[in-house]
Amino acid sequence: MTEKPVLTLKDLSIEFPTPQGVVQAVKALSLDIHKGRRVGFIGESGSGKTTTALAVMQMLAEPGRVAGGTIDLGGTNVLDLDEDQMRRTRLSRVAYIPQGAMNSLNPVMRVEPQMWDGIIAHEGKLDRAELKRRSDAALESVGLPQHTADLYPHELSGGMKQRVCIAMGIILNPELIIADEPTSALDVVTQRQVMQTLKAIQSEIGSGLMLIGHDMGLMAQTVDELAVLKDGELVEHGTVQQILEAPKHPYTRDLISSVPLVGGESFLNPDARAKAPERASAEPLLRFEDVRKNYGAVTALHPMSFTLQGDTPQIISIVGQSGSGKSTMGSIMLGFNPPSEGRVLFEGQDVARMSAAQSLDFRKNVQAVFQDPYACFNPFYRVNHALKFPFKQFGLAKSDAHTQTAMEEACDAVGLDPDLVLNRYPHQLSGGQRQRLIVARALMLSPKLLIADEPVSMVDASLRASILSNIYDLKDKYGISILYITHDLATAYHVSDYVMVLFKGHVVEAGPPKEVIGAPQHPYTKLLIDSIPWPDLHRSWGDGRQDWDPVKLEAEAAKARSIYRGIVPGFDLQEA
Amino acid sequence: MTSQDHLPPTRAEKRQAKRIKRFDNPWMNPKLIWGAALLLGIIAMGIIGRFVWDPDLVFTGSSMLRLPPVGFENLRGQAGSMANPLGTDGGGRDVLALIIIGAPNTLFVGLLASLIGMSIGIFLGFSAGFLGGRTDDIIRVSADVMITIPPLLILVVFQSAFGDVSLTMMALLIAGFVWQSPTRLIRAQVLSMKQSGYVQMAQLSGASTSHIMFREMMPNLVPYLFGSFIASVTTSIVTAVGLEVLGLGPQRIPTLGRTIYEAINAGALIQNLWWWWGIPTLLLAIIFIGLLLINLGLDEVSNPRLRRLS
Repeated sequence: MTEKPVLTLKDLSIEFPTPQGVVQAVKALSLDIHKGRRVGFIGESGSGKTTTALAVMQMLAEPGRVAGGTIDLGGTNVLDLDEDQMRRTRLSRVAYIPQGAMNSLNPVMRVEPQMWDGIIAHEGKLDRAELKRRSDAALESVGLPQHTADLYPHELSGGMKQRVCIAMGIILNPELIIADEPTSALDVVTQRQVMQTLKAIQSEIGSGLMLIGHDMGLMAQTVDELAVLKDGELVEHGTVQQILEAPKHPYTRDLISSVPLVGGESFLNPDARAKAPERASAEPLLRFEDVRKNYGAVTALHPMSFTLQGDTPQIISIVGQSGSGKSTMGSIMLGFNPPSEGRVLFEGQDVARMSAAQSLDFRKNVQAVFQDPYACFNPFYRVNHALKFPFKQFGLAKSDAHTQTAMEEACDAVGLDPDLVLNRYPHQLSGGQRQRLIVARALMLSPKLLIADEPVSMVDASLRASILSNIYDLKDKYGISILYITHDLATAYHVSDYVMVLFKGHVVEAGPPKEVIGAPQHPYTKLLIDSIPWPDLHRSWGDGRQDWDPVKLEAEAAKARSIYRGIVPGFDLQEA
Repeated sequence: MTSQDHLPPTRAEKRQAKRIKRFDNPWMNPKLIWGAALLLGIIAMGIIGRFVWDPDLVFTGSSMLRLPPVGFENLRGQAGSMANPLGTDGGGRDVLALIIIGAPNTLFVGLLASLIGMSIGIFLGFSAGFLGGRTDDIIRVSADVMITIPPLLILVVFQSAFGDVSLTMMALLIAGFVWQSPTRLIRAQVLSMKQSGYVQMAQLSGASTSHIMFREMMPNLVPYLFGSFIASVTTSIVTAVGLEVLGLGPQRIPTLGRTIYEAINAGALIQNLWWWWGIPTLLLAIIFIGLLLINLGLDEVSNPRLRRLS
């Protein structure tokens, strides 16, 4: 590679002065990005990947500053540019595609004038026909129909908005495109489509691409080179092939192994099967009788009936995209959200019609782990409040010392050091620690049923496997039945005894995971599985084909009949 | 690489370090401290003044009429004396005694009115946000309707019907017009908090409604409540002074507004008796500046984004 690189970072250091002292966000990072190459920056939150990108754009948030090193953008030292020169450099030479496309577009402007803004700012006033020609060309290149130009952002779907952002980014043919987790808010099907668009357009204009992300699978399917960052340091850099096949740094190995594969090795330990606790009632643990949920005219959940016996602990997975009705099911089971029709029975008792005592008993026996570990703790209290309070409330505490030992045991069980975490405030803990504490909280109460609603989707990738195995162990060690709600088919494949695939409020395929996810038959399940990026270089996932059209595939899926696969004892789903 | 890391700290960096230290304890906010000091100064003046000065001088005819403050001469050529350091009004009342008694009274009406208003607001806001449905509709609509009614207009009618009122009665009447905005604010906060993860967690923990309201939600509302309290003290004082200046407040108890009313009534403005109306106005200004500083300071305490390092 003799050509001059598009971007050269040399000994780049970035620091943030804070009350606790200066934080080194990026430490002596050196890296080249060549023309036409796609370089992935991978690392956990706080590893400095976004900070590096913002430094290239000279958009570091106050009080951060570049402490040392140089940023060379195709021969220009970015750090020497003044504010006005930098403004002209942005977009024309470096384009930035932000994380939340839904918030990046002006909601009161149509798409077209927003695209023109960039051109006018850099090239002065052009005539309307020329502007129109260029914005149409940009939209076409990201595979959006012409009429998109006249729409307002709220009329577009998340994936379309992200593609509009890409179109705006490339409209001036920049030398470098920086894409900061461009698909993190999108579901897998849309993610695949957006990444394909991005790859296609990048190779078309031949610019360098800096893709920031935390998903090893997505990286493997998208980029040519990978830079692994940890705590602001570049720990490993090489081609994807090198890194995936022979990772040198232990952190890289962790990242690769933390991606669960369908059919791959399980990350769970299969031993220690406990018996379910003796159940006093012969009634099934949980029963849905023709449960239906409407939000106004929209039916979020079509009538569904199933029975979870609960004599042997089982994990039932409910998978689907956002909007499939899976979280609605979760809140109906918890009694937060009454069903529009039908009944939910817990041990033979209608959840909606319970006396105060029965309700307290139901609360003790049905616990939950929610998606957002940041919101689950009251910021006013130390975290032990969240563990102590329910323990006392349900009359499980014999004395304060007993509560303390129970908390410490629960922390140990999820792999946390009780002395370190229990007396902290929530903001002092990481997302992973908080989510484990929520699992520990559930464990202390020893419920009969645990509803885990996307428990790991907001946690760093390297921690996902360990938190899931914490939850999995609950089932075996403590005999808790678990309903696992997720969009992640690979984890569902490993942890569950039975899988239901939801699509627009209907169950489209259900059965044991080895059959449903291992060998899908329903077109929708196939579509979902095809869309998951795996760290497997030989898969044709994001090869830039434009003929892969999820809209058409979804329409086909909607016509297909539901498929019921094998039966698992203890769980009975009634065929609709 | 340069050796900039090893240079001794420059003056700018030292100043930065000092700012960072201040950043550490949000309550050590200069605005907050100054504001509180001004208000405490008014209260201290009221307390200490009663001991070192004779409060009986507020009564008519206790001194000569229209004496200027020390160091000035009035139109009749009389010089101020130490017997009435801030001069006297048209009825021979000592201006220093008037403000020693009057300024704390004005502050008292404001604090009491907004304390009552806030309590009503907290109760109604929580009820509306928590119970929802018909209760919410009634509370929300009545708060919205009340907000559109100008309080002074109604209070003028009330006060003229009641005639002479006590300070507490006036505070009660004003309280009827300062509960709406805290109600709306708390209702909105409760509605959004109800959806938050920790409230759901508390529900899962079998917490009672009152536990969720007062132990889980209330502590997180404190910054809002403080801010809203200070804002309604300001509104209450403005309303109270407004009524007093119209001559509708308590007739026998000295307040700052009443003193201004009497000064205007006696033509103090054209007779160049500036100390009569000027000194109470200055004290009112100090009270409002104090409240404003506290409000700005609280804003910075509860919203860390407003606290800047540079």
